[in-house]
Amino acid sequence: MNLALLAIFTTAVPLGGAPRLLLMLPLCLSVAIVYKTTRLRNLRELPVAVGLLWGTIVLGMCGVGVGLWLLFFLMV
Amino acid sequence: MARAPTDSAATAVLVRSAGDNVLAAPIAGFLAWLVPGLGHLYLGDRTRGLICLVTITATFWTGVAIGSVQGTVDPRERTLWFMAQICTGGNTLTAVGLNAVTKPKPATPTPGYIPAWLSVDVGVHYTGVAGLLNLLVILDALSRAEFGGKRDPITVLKPKGDP
Repeated sequence: MNLALLAIFTTAVPLGGAPRLLLMLPLCLSVAIVYKTTRLRNLRELPVAVGLLWGTIVLGMCGVGVGLWLLFFLMV
Repeated sequence: MARAPTDSAATAVLVRSAGDNVLAAPIAGFLAWLVPGLGHLYLGDRTRGLICLVTITATFWTGVAIGSVQGTVDPRERTLWFMAQICTGGNTLTAVGLNAVTKPKPATPTPGYIPAWLSVDVGVHYTGVAGLLNLLVILDALSRAEFGGKRDPITVLKPKGDP
């Protein structure tokens, strides 16, 4: 049991292609949760505020990604 | 009855309700570094502390699980990333200890070629971001300790002459 638990942290998960990019979503969610937890006075507003910030970060990063891709596409 | 805001409110003074306890800020800061959210729990802000504890710890160990402890937490090979990771002290020290006592294992074989650095790269980002998020939490705990537990620094402004 303990060895199996240890193996989770000592063996890298094979990742490649599109699924790797999807791992951006939970990371952005963590950033949104912690940032809003420190900023909000009333934590009842947390789910809505986190949802809005998470959406903004993800859309912003997608926008930057598309912009850089277009720039690369035009320059090549 | 609540008093209407006057010009005297503009000349407000800051009331530091936690000023009596000089050690509150350093203790809260140290606890927040050691375990994410523990500084807030020490200050009595349980919900905020628990949210930070769960989120940052989960982010850090998810990163370690993705990239393996040998690849992600390495003070020699990834010094700059380690400086970000060490901001979440307890988690990183545990990972360094785990790194010292375990041997690296190769990733499970998959069809096609998937380089190992892809997983390690994602893991390093997760753990580094977790560390930087904890830096934010440490600063927040210090600020709350300085200005009085759960109170927000902005809300403790009090007009001169108010009882």
